[in-house]
Amino acid sequence: MSVKGQIGRRDFIRAAAALGIGGGIWKTAAREPGSMVWQLDPQQCVQCGRCATHCVLNPSAVKCVHSYPICGYCDLCGGYLQPGAKKRDTGAENELCPVSAITRTFIEPPFFQYTIDEDLCVGCAKCVKGCGLFGNGSLYLQIKQDLCVHCNECAIARACPAEAFQRIPAEQAYLLKTRPEGGPAQT
Amino acid sequence: MTVRNKTGKPIPAWVWGVATVIAIGVVVLLASKDWRRDPPQSFRYEVAQYERVDPSRVLFEEREPITPDVPGLTALATSPEGRIYAAGTNAVVVYGLDGREIARHAINGSPTCLAVTADGEILLGMTDHVEVLHADGKPKARWPSLGERAHLTSIAANGEDIYAADAGNRVVVRFDREGNVVQHIGKADASKGIPGFVVPSPYFDVTFDNTGTFWAVNPGRHGLESYRSSGALISAWYRPSIEAEGFSGCCNPSHVAFRSDGSLVTTEKGLARVKLYSVDQKLVGFVAQPATFHDSPMGAFSCKLETPLVDLAVDSKDRVLVLDANKNAIRIFEEKASE
Ligand code: SF4
Ligand code: SF4
Ligand code: SF4
Repeated sequence: MSVKGQIGRRDFIRAAAALGIGGGIWKTAAREPGSMVWQLDPQQCVQCGRCATHCVLNPSAVKCVHSYPICGYCDLCGGYLQPGAKKRDTGAENELCPVSAITRTFIEPPFFQYTIDEDLCVGCAKCVKGCGLFGNGSLYLQIKQDLCVHCNECAIARACPAEAFQRIPAEQAYLLKTRPEGGPAQT
Repeated sequence: MTVRNKTGKPIPAWVWGVATVIAIGVVVLLASKDWRRDPPQSFRYEVAQYERVDPSRVLFEEREPITPDVPGLTALATSPEGRIYAAGTNAVVVYGLDGREIARHAINGSPTCLAVTADGEILLGMTDHVEVLHADGKPKARWPSLGERAHLTSIAANGEDIYAADAGNRVVVRFDREGNVVQHIGKADASKGIPGFVVPSPYFDVTFDNTGTFWAVNPGRHGLESYRSSGALISAWYRPSIEAEGFSGCCNPSHVAFRSDGSLVTTEKGLARVKLYSVDQKLVGFVAQPATFHDSPMGAFSCKLETPLVDLAVDSKDRVLVLDANKNAIRIFEEKASE
């Protein structure tokens, strides 16, 4: 992981990518008030995987984020384990994430906490699909605005089959998932 | 400079024209096609193998559904004398076994669960409290709220006892017929061997079997637990697995109902399937497979869909009734005649 303030390898790649994109803007700080940024609507996303492969950056500026109030802290986590995993443990053969970006931490029986290592995550949405199908849908994708180079036309938006991408005000640059009204509270 | 061919003659203008058109065509083609690779196999979530069910394992066939003229159906119940009750936005509708509407009662709101007592009173779980209707649909009582965190997901009646599953507080509440809370069931207590309910989402079902024993789903542990009315744990069985024999995900089985022979019918969210278990908890077969609830095979795995199976009941003819939110209908499944 690059230390804040230092230009790390990833920053270099990002800068190089920005230079290579017509209209790309090299900027990781907050956008000017009134400007618009690209963001994807997690309710629209159908987890096609293109967020990982179609961003101008490699790895993608799209990352998995986790809404802990929605999470069930499940032992049999659909976002962490392969569908047919023989065991519910941290063995690599059981992990769903292709780049091992999710950490499973035991809390108390039978609860486990799942955290995303953003540096490793490539935004493939595999865990998002598993969590949505078999869990509470607490894992979802967002364009990380500190990574995004703000292309005039987002390359993923052009490829997204679900039309999940939109321009939103930079002051509210994320479309976050929260616990649905009336749903039972988690502790 | 004039460009000439090998014989020394100038290349005619039309050849240049054709070459230019071809070159432009190639450039346009290259620019318009998205040459980036599609996500590789390792980025795909594959569950198709679990979605496919051998047709020989499907033991039920579907009959004509009931399609209530009520928006947003949320709850289903049956009575021993062969009535079918469906609740949705501002209404409870009562049907006979032939699917004909017998009665319609206006209510306020959308019940989260529904049950009918032996004498025909209708119990409506209204998120944090229970409302009672007389058999003729007239309001009888509104029981006190169970608190801000309460979220009733299932209600079951047996004689004088009413049991309600409170997903918010992860406990089963036993009421008397007047709505007094008599007992809390299922709170974790190691000294009594009670593991505690794990309820990650609002899917927490309760029911009675054919002998009158009370059962509660422990959805986070992927199984069922039976309790005495005193709150003592009688037995439990859990089957966490994505294979057909088990229950997967965070909260399954999502709904359960017993048939008159003691066999158990279950629904699941995620992998929308309805299964039948024997009294000794072995998988007998499928009532309905995932494809039954989705027009397209991958529809079963679209994260944009909430689970279509919002409630389950068994009627007095042992048919399995599934409330399908996608179709806003009561889907009816009858066991195939044995050959
Ligand atoms: S391209 Fe669209 S549908 Fe595909 S993962 Fe990204 S947001 Fe979801
Ligand atoms: S499965 Fe994909 S989206 Fe999820 S954490 Fe791993 S790399 Fe990120
Ligand atoms: S605008 Fe789209 S393609 Fe460009 S860096 Fe941001 S997420 Fe990637």
